[in-house]
Amino acid sequence: MSHHHPHSHSHDHSHGHDHGHEGGSDLPAALDTNVPDAELNPADLSRRSMLRRAGLLGAGLAAGSVLGNAATAAATPRIAHPGRPPRGGYRWLAGDHHIHTQYSSDAKYRVADHVRHANAYGLDWMVITDHGSVQHAKIGVEKVNPDIVAARDANPDTLVFQGLEWNIPAAEHGTVFVHPGKGEVPLLKEFENSFDGAVKNATAGTPANEALAIAGVNFLADAVRRRRVQDVLFLANHPARKGIDSPHEIRGWRDAQPRIAVGMEGAPGHQAGGIPAPHGPGSARGLYDNSPSPDSFPGYPLESYRTWGGFDWMTATVGGLWDSLLAEGKPWWITANSDSHNIYADTAVRGPGTDFPANGHHNDPVYGGDLNLGDTDFWPGYYSRTHVGACDFSYAAVMDGIRAGRVWVDHGGLISGVDVQLRARNGRDSATLGETLHVRRGAAVDLVITIDLANGPNWAQFVPVLARVDVIQGDVTGAVSDRDAFTAPNTKVVKSFEVGKSTGTVQFTYPLGQVGSPVYVRLRGTDGNRTAVGARGPAIDPVGPAMDVLGSADPWKDLWFYTNPIWVLPA
Amino acid sequence: MSSFAVDAGSSSLGEADHLVHDLVAGLGLPEGTVACTHLIRTGTAHVAVSVRLPPGAPAVEERLTTFARTRPVGVATGTRRLGPAHLADGAAVAEAQHTARQAGRAVIYPGVAALTGTVSFEELFAVSAITRVAVIGGADQPGRQDRLLTRDHVRPEWHDGDLTLAVTAVERGLYAPFEVPNPTPCCADHA
Repeated sequence: MSHHHPHSHSHDHSHGHDHGHEGGSDLPAALDTNVPDAELNPADLSRRSMLRRAGLLGAGLAAGSVLGNAATAAATPRIAHPGRPPRGGYRWLAGDHHIHTQYSSDAKYRVADHVRHANAYGLDWMVITDHGSVQHAKIGVEKVNPDIVAARDANPDTLVFQGLEWNIPAAEHGTVFVHPGKGEVPLLKEFENSFDGAVKNATAGTPANEALAIAGVNFLADAVRRRRVQDVLFLANHPARKGIDSPHEIRGWRDAQPRIAVGMEGAPGHQAGGIPAPHGPGSARGLYDNSPSPDSFPGYPLESYRTWGGFDWMTATVGGLWDSLLAEGKPWWITANSDSHNIYADTAVRGPGTDFPANGHHNDPVYGGDLNLGDTDFWPGYYSRTHVGACDFSYAAVMDGIRAGRVWVDHGGLISGVDVQLRARNGRDSATLGETLHVRRGAAVDLVITIDLANGPNWAQFVPVLARVDVIQGDVTGAVSDRDAFTAPNTKVVKSFEVGKSTGTVQFTYPLGQVGSPVYVRLRGTDGNRTAVGARGPAIDPVGPAMDVLGSADPWKDLWFYTNPIWVLPA
Repeated sequence: MSSFAVDAGSSSLGEADHLVHDLVAGLGLPEGTVACTHLIRTGTAHVAVSVRLPPGAPAVEERLTTFARTRPVGVATGTRRLGPAHLADGAAVAEAQHTARQAGRAVIYPGVAALTGTVSFEELFAVSAITRVAVIGGADQPGRQDRLLTRDHVRPEWHDGDLTLAVTAVERGLYAPFEVPNPTPCCADHA
């Protein structure tokens, strides 16, 4: 680029904030220290103040450098741990990998509608994931792309990925998304035509369809290997909703391509679904209201078909399915997304004369004149957030961060930031989310948790208060003999911290003691409004999330955050 | 013949519920009949239907044979099998589960017609064949004066010899069946 637009003068933001200038910064406004606070919109200002408090706004960032690089990171001061090694020095980018537009038969908004809202609500990255379908494979997958490209240009401080909501053969849905580039549309299109369960009539839970799903994951890995696209990720969506993602299928995807199939939604979207009628849909939080069916995994209990504190049962159950995957010592990360189709209490309706089967998309939405109180979703960024520790503000860094498991999730802005470090007492070695701390057998290890409490109101205009933080620890017991196992008998809540304050930063330290065998730890926190004894009993989880009540689940009164795990591997 | 089962390869519980009602109407099944759905997970997973007749019920063999002849269904009655083998096998599984009272989701059973609107658990046990309630997602057992919001859709299941209704708490003193009448359909069908 050749135009000259140094960042040392003030910007006219009504003309948009230009990025990617030569010799200057390609940072979003919130991160660009040349843009004064006074010029930021409220969302960017909030984003910046969090970064500033976390010690992430400064010379290193302004230069657009890679914080994962040790030399650069060492120069970045960390307020929370002055003098500590800078292992946590990532830029935490909030995002959502599950969003539907007018190119989904059951949704209605323009790409631009979602991106503008996501941007205003503070998201840094998002994935457009319209449903795989015959029409989408033929029309939508191509036609949505110019809309996405235009949205990228119009919103330079939001990374907009193109993806697909894959009907996983024999199973639930999943997000598949690619790094932008020439290959993104052809690759997604070929994948959808070859492996989508709806397109291929392969939704039934047969061994052949299960094999087709694995072939699909392998196809994605091969596409990266052959550089058809720079990168691809696959995450399972609403995994317990209908009981049709069996444990062996999840293990199968993960083990086929662990760098591609990296995780699942810890919390599904549709979080407004349980708001009571008549002012809400009066349905189920997450739209989790199913029962066992012929295609469901027979081992799943009825409890698995509902959400717990807004989270999927696989994640919410301490010692449950997620823990059984982690106890194998293999990566499997959780996320939280909006699954936005139709926004609760919005006024838009599909445009008149819409004909999805013929056109592959709905006509642009129009003003409907009334509040859509029966709709179940929130805008991206409004309620559910997936925070990814990225080395820089780029598509590649977001994908790398997700793949690395540097991810924590929250609902309703329960906290503004969390830094989790597992530290050896030698004062040198430390690991953060998704990583493994290698220590000598018997070395003493501490878990150091630093939480930025909610630094302002959420999008329901109240300041959420974190009441409690739980440390969950489990033994790593290696590969399972039963691929359908979904319990981890040696995982439990080992420590609960009462927070006792509502502003600023809190720090907790949990000494794991001398570690003689491999373990992992993960965190969970809550506003403390709704709790219950966990499914595996009070000795495992005395105050866990409660099952959400059909027709009466106010999502703002039951907020949780979860982090991904850190492992310790003594040798 | 006190029991039989029919497997039409129904793909969903809703479809199997329709088959139950077709059987009740088509065969003229009497009061006191218990008709259940069973998840058959061999081959292409599907749902079969079993029927247990009350003592002294008039014979239905002839009408059942006619019913089976006019439709692509498998039938099992004791050791007898009718229709395509894979469906007759499914029917046999369903009949065995029902006879043992170990599995089966009851659509028709004594008292089901009275379970509409909101009823107390005392009434539930008094008027219907349901003998046990299991609370999902909570430890509190409902008292006899507590109420059940039926949503006009009460589907208890055989479990260890008891016709057991899974319920969840709605609010203090009010419960609802775990199974909802119209669960959110899967978006995979939108193709």
